[in-house]
Amino acid sequence: MFYFSIFFQYASQYLKTRLTYRGDLIVEIFSDFLFQAVNLVFILVVFGHTTLLNGWSREEIIFIYGFFLVPYAIFSSFFNIWDFNDRYIVKGEMDRVLTRPIHSLFQIVIERMELESMFGVVTGLVIMFYAGNQLGLELSWYDPFVFLFMVIGGAFIYAGIFISLASISFWSDSKTDIMPMMYNIGNYGRYPVDIYNHVIRFVLTWILPFAFVGVYPSAFFLGRTEWYGYAFLTPVMGVIFLSIAIILWNSGVKRYRGAGN
Amino acid sequence: MNVIEVKELRKEFKSYSSRSGLSGAFRDLFTRNYKVLRAVDDISLQVKQGEMVGYIGENGAGKSTTIKMLTGILTPTGGEVRVNGMNPHKEREKFVQTIGVVFGQRSQLWWDIAVQESFRLLKKVYRVSDEDYETHMKEVIETLEIEPLLDKPVRKLSLGQRMRCELAAALIHNPPLLFLDEPTIGLDVLVKMKIREFLKKINQKYKTTILLTTHDLADIEALCDRVVLLDEGKIIYDGRLDQLQKNWVEGKEVRFEFQHPVELGSLEMVSSQFDVKWRQGERSHQWIAMVDGDDDTVSKLMSQVMLNHSITDVKINHVSTEEIIRNIYEEGMSHG
Amino acid sequence: MGNFSVYVEMIRIRFLMMLAYRTNYYSGILIYSINIGAYYFLWQAIYGSQESIEGMSVTQMTTYIAVAWMARAFYFNNIDREIAQEIQEGKVAIEMIRPYNYLGIKTMQGLGEGLFRLLFFSVPGMVIIGLAFPIDFSNSITVWLLFIVSIIFSFIVNTQLNLLTGILTFFLLYNTGLIRGKRVVIDLFSGLLLPISFYPMWAQDIMGFLPFQAISYIPSMIFTEGFTGAEIYSALGIQLFWCFFLIIPIQLLWVIAKRQLIVQGG
Repeated sequence: MFYFSIFFQYASQYLKTRLTYRGDLIVEIFSDFLFQAVNLVFILVVFGHTTLLNGWSREEIIFIYGFFLVPYAIFSSFFNIWDFNDRYIVKGEMDRVLTRPIHSLFQIVIERMELESMFGVVTGLVIMFYAGNQLGLELSWYDPFVFLFMVIGGAFIYAGIFISLASISFWSDSKTDIMPMMYNIGNYGRYPVDIYNHVIRFVLTWILPFAFVGVYPSAFFLGRTEWYGYAFLTPVMGVIFLSIAIILWNSGVKRYRGAGN
Repeated sequence: MNVIEVKELRKEFKSYSSRSGLSGAFRDLFTRNYKVLRAVDDISLQVKQGEMVGYIGENGAGKSTTIKMLTGILTPTGGEVRVNGMNPHKEREKFVQTIGVVFGQRSQLWWDIAVQESFRLLKKVYRVSDEDYETHMKEVIETLEIEPLLDKPVRKLSLGQRMRCELAAALIHNPPLLFLDEPTIGLDVLVKMKIREFLKKINQKYKTTILLTTHDLADIEALCDRVVLLDEGKIIYDGRLDQLQKNWVEGKEVRFEFQHPVELGSLEMVSSQFDVKWRQGERSHQWIAMVDGDDDTVSKLMSQVMLNHSITDVKINHVSTEEIIRNIYEEGMSHG
Repeated sequence: MGNFSVYVEMIRIRFLMMLAYRTNYYSGILIYSINIGAYYFLWQAIYGSQESIEGMSVTQMTTYIAVAWMARAFYFNNIDREIAQEIQEGKVAIEMIRPYNYLGIKTMQGLGEGLFRLLFFSVPGMVIIGLAFPIDFSNSITVWLLFIVSIIFSFIVNTQLNLLTGILTFFLLYNTGLIRGKRVVIDLFSGLLLPISFYPMWAQDIMGFLPFQAISYIPSMIFTEGFTGAEIYSALGIQLFWCFFLIIPIQLLWVIAKRQLIVQGG
């Protein structure tokens, strides 16, 4: 309860600040749209030169992309920790965080949230409904609930991977360029993983399980029964990866060296 | 009851050294040299409730590291820490509720939003009730004279204004223990005085225990009865400030300004019954006597000298705390 | 330009700074390889049974992607964000009174970073990728030389665009949105993700008027020998044109920004 009220307190403060710099807010929302469009353009251009991607149609790939946008939007609204090392470790802001009576990771989440990224949920749903319509998909009563679990699972996986990467900063003081690259790798989970060779497929399923934030859960809604097993693993993988990340984080905090040493 | 109870506290850091030059840097790519650095070396310390303790030492002596261990930011390598009856880093979230922290070089406040909005957020974070906030903070805001700053965003404040707001922010939950790390750094004399007065006041009123690190020894002189001196991670002095002065300074320094040039021989003759060392000042008229003895001896010496030589000016110098501490660091604690 | 050695020193310092971070580069190469590998399979699936698309074979396409990402390691830098941060923190006012050109220094820092990544990242990375995937390295020295000239131009154009977005912070106060937007646009329109020849004609026409193709498309096409003969020289001409043309808005905005800085006192 306390964490909820703190969350809303921060969120309202955040909106107040953001609305003061409306210009930047609009540009940012626009650049988010642009980012979403870029990937759509990529799919469209590619399918300008081919009709099937390893047996998957254009609309199916677009549907997967639409699904991906929803957990991704939630992730990018709350887990802006790609610059954690710079912002909190090098500049010593972590000192301040650790002197407050709230879990350190939660503080960073609420300090760094970017609620405007939630617009991605809308874009994602629109794309899914468009593609689903083209494919003639039927909506069952339980689909929204399954969708909710899949989305939460996907967001947890993303969060888990990025929190784990941020936790590395507690052990190694060197800055890494891994984070921005990881955003790229995240994109490959949006394509049917059977196009990749087994090494990359293994990585995308079990090591950096981005396939669970795209193709696997979407397979459920697309009626690709051969992938159902993976699809239902999505929330499980989400919980596992987030838990590992939090354990890593907590033990990292104990190793924190402070700034300027 | 002891608010702070520290036994053989130790903190070690691995420090990587880089080789020089391009080829050295290239070798660092594969293997790096490191050595273990003991920043805090088996410190033991007790602080009672209501004490104001000055924690001083040169840069890198281990002050900040100690404070960070006492506040739960860093995990100790060894030893025991109990602050407010808790283990700071183990029960961090519960523990920090009972302390206030001000880092002079780091802001607690949100840069973009008005000061009172920051206070409101912190009030939520520390779960302070409306009544408590009203009664307590009203007074803090009044004493620190920050009322007119409350609706300004932090980035528009001057350093002195910001620092006063930082102090208020650290006291929102009225903590029984306050850690101040360089709270007066870069501030002008007036603001410094205001802050010192305020700290004295809350110490008297709420029996707030204060642990303070600073480079400005005037802060310590104005506030602290007790000082803890740190050197290379070890405590080299822990006791009353006036005791430190008394122990260290043996006698006084008297500066005579004579009307005519005076020879050393004649001065030594007139002062032969005293334990005194003479030293030529900047000019031939000026002589400085280092006297070993109490005030009585000093005044006797002065009258003896003045009987034999006419003077234009005479001055008794007290050795400043700063000088004492500089001497301690230069010569070690052997006199103490 | 003032004292030339200051700028050389800046390159060196940034280079050494980057060298200090070592773990970075082992993991970096690995992740770049996964990235390029995934692209390789994606393109194989896209090609399916087709021999070539828009005159490019699968091998050429793989080479294109690999070299485009490796060249990116060289021209890419964050000086836009650095400038924005220094403006917000008020550090630029101090930089102004130093006896050098602030934008020049920023460019040199970017160059130091780029050279570092080129040597310790792109070159070994390219060797590893060359072993793992079928990649066509040209055996003509001229192609390699022209490619080097071309990525130098890439660096200049990309850095100029970064300077431009950075300076805009003076007028926007907050411009994370703009910086992010610019990055997305560059990824798409520079030809990093897709060769520009894959786009529909109308889109290609529009991109012809924009500076972005000078960043990634041109050097990658030269490297994969997608451009030949006179095509190469006209492409280099386009890059050169943008290098000079972009100086105009940068200088203009910089002069206005400096004036504003003097009036407001930072």
